[in-house]
Amino acid sequence: MTESSTVTPDPATSAGSGHPRSRMPSRAGRRRGAGRIGQVHPVVALLWLAPALALILGVVLYPAIKLFDASRGEYSITGLRKGDAGWGNYVKVLEHPDLGTVLRNTVIWVVAVVAITIVLSLALAQFLSKSFPGRRFVRWAVIIPWAASLVITSQLFVLLYDYNYGIINHVLQGLGLIDQPIDFLGNDSWTMFSMVVVGVFVSLPFTIFVFIAGLGAIPDDVMEAATVDGASPWQRYWNITLPLMRPALMIATVLNVIYVFNSFPIIYTLNDRNPGYAHDTTITFMYKLAFKSQEHDVGMSAAAGIFNVVLILVVVGIYLKIINWREETSR
Amino acid sequence: MTSTKKSAVVAGLAIAGLALGACGGGTGAGTTAGASGGSGQEVKTIKLVAAEYSKDHTKAFWDAFAKTYKDKTGYTLEVQVVSWDNIDQQSSTMIQNNQAPDILNLNAYASYAKDGLLYDSDAVLPAAVKSDILDTFVKYGTYQGKFYGFPDLSSARAFFYNKTLFKQAGINEPPKTWTELEADAKKITALGNGNVGYALPLGPEESQGEFSMWLFNNGGTWKDGDKWTINSDKNVETLTFLKKLADEKLTQNNPARTNRADAFDLFKSGKAGMVIGFSPLAGALDQDKKVDYGVAPFPTNDGSESKTFGVTDYLMAFKKPGNEKAVKAFYDLYYQPDQVNTFIKAEGFLPVTKTGVQQFQSDPKLKVYLDTLPNAQLTPTDDPTWDKVKLAVQQNLGGGINGSPKATLDKLQQTAENGG
Repeated sequence: MTESSTVTPDPATSAGSGHPRSRMPSRAGRRRGAGRIGQVHPVVALLWLAPALALILGVVLYPAIKLFDASRGEYSITGLRKGDAGWGNYVKVLEHPDLGTVLRNTVIWVVAVVAITIVLSLALAQFLSKSFPGRRFVRWAVIIPWAASLVITSQLFVLLYDYNYGIINHVLQGLGLIDQPIDFLGNDSWTMFSMVVVGVFVSLPFTIFVFIAGLGAIPDDVMEAATVDGASPWQRYWNITLPLMRPALMIATVLNVIYVFNSFPIIYTLNDRNPGYAHDTTITFMYKLAFKSQEHDVGMSAAAGIFNVVLILVVVGIYLKIINWREETSR
Repeated sequence: MTSTKKSAVVAGLAIAGLALGACGGGTGAGTTAGASGGSGQEVKTIKLVAAEYSKDHTKAFWDAFAKTYKDKTGYTLEVQVVSWDNIDQQSSTMIQNNQAPDILNLNAYASYAKDGLLYDSDAVLPAAVKSDILDTFVKYGTYQGKFYGFPDLSSARAFFYNKTLFKQAGINEPPKTWTELEADAKKITALGNGNVGYALPLGPEESQGEFSMWLFNNGGTWKDGDKWTINSDKNVETLTFLKKLADEKLTQNNPARTNRADAFDLFKSGKAGMVIGFSPLAGALDQDKKVDYGVAPFPTNDGSESKTFGVTDYLMAFKKPGNEKAVKAFYDLYYQPDQVNTFIKAEGFLPVTKTGVQQFQSDPKLKVYLDTLPNAQLTPTDDPTWDKVKLAVQQNLGGGINGSPKATLDKLQQTAENGG
């Protein structure tokens, strides 16, 4: 496998600078002469690292410490800290009667949105990387759901789904497919489905563009060689395109899992009419614990927040483990 | 090599993603650089966090108010207007970070009084103002014998009906009893064409408001003296009646999951025969001029005299070193008839003072509310437990429509008795 400098989307590379950057110089340095790196004065090195360090300290570490601190406190409904709660908040979260439902919703939400997004994006990226008249406009159009604020998109879908005036029900009824309107957001059997549709809709643009870039990075000569050897289109796709797309697939999956897991506005907006936690994921659960539910407890919510971070780290860790394992065994 | 490098990249991305996620989550924490003054010294600048009642009027009023306040007293008032969606979260964050404003405008106060954060009326409210505030509101603003919850404005609910639909269905006058209401709802629903008899919002936005109106008009209460009465026979009867309306399809689809705003929209579109509304809804209807509507007292179960459900919001004063005088000057100015009543009129709500009631009397449209206002029943806002019970009601009351009314109310009663 070529190391093909993974198709990293720009914002991510620059934001995640901590790790990759610190490794790059050692490779580049070796080419030029290994000794030089060590000769930089530590103060100078620190100066160069300062922005990144400040970012990590200010944006990651400080809030994390505050969050942990809050999770160990006992808070009044007003937000006033009344004392230390020890691990009490964690116990309360774990003993919450709706935790099971919330976790199940989270799994369904993340797996469904990411899986459907990936499959659809693979197809759409294939289509958008072919040249056809007006391709540029179609590509622009695809970006729009990404560019629009999630709250606005969600609110728009609330209108589309509406029971009384929603255009979706209007069209379905007009076509004679249904007699009665469907209560997309209020009927328990439809709510999750309706939210997943929106989740996929907003995740598509980013994923499609990652895949378009991935497709563009596949060398033409490999394809040509395969064609000359008489491989059918399906064989070419399965044995060449997909394996070469693996870095892109991996990035798209990991980032989408994180984004979708952390997605707040879609679920919060589409689910706001439903009482209780029947359709909440761990993220909206955390918010409701702090501000909407009868618990109204900042400490408990912070504890739930800690669980969220641990959960996503574990999930991503497991995923990477599986990917590496596959790579090792495929050699 | 390849694989370790790649996983390093991905790990970096993962961390970046989490960090970005964390950024998105924490709103507003840093925006409250406040005017917390030095200890003991008199504060010259105080901060008001006000709720946004309307885009057009709230900020305009408070900005003008701050100017007058500065001219008259020499103190500076920093105004921050926050939407209702966020104000709870923002105020909680401010207090958590020890950056409470000097004055906070919110729909609850008792928990803050319980936490010892507030000035009571003896410290910051001029005596003349206190005696001018309507007795009902003083009563519900008093926690453990002291008056903390100073009302900024009030509203009272009333029964709205669509005259056009009533005429089409052959109904001559608004119902006086629940039996009549049910019969009327049947006639309106029978008109077909998507018309619903009664728009019943029991979704999490405001279900305690809707239910209060019903239960007060069945002689029920949330709390009687020191005892919670959420699952009293009267209240179970009330919720059972609402369930019946829903089961007979006389309401809009899925009332347990309809928020108040959606019910209002339905009424504004002319598709709902009846709804519980308040003066801002009337304002919106007058502006649209689409629906010919009438306002009447809410029907009672047995035909006895109608009661109304009143709501006030509060302007509460936080104890902070050296801000007492400035805060007192604030209330002195706010409760001047030309200030408070101007604000209330612009926002389309109801007065909180006796002078205000007199001044508003001249408006015939407000008569139906003003007559009932002095005797309005409120939810037990003077009990800090209610602040949590209210949330429990919002989240769970709808369950009584799809499931058992008695079990739902029993559970809420238990929540209240356990202290929320």
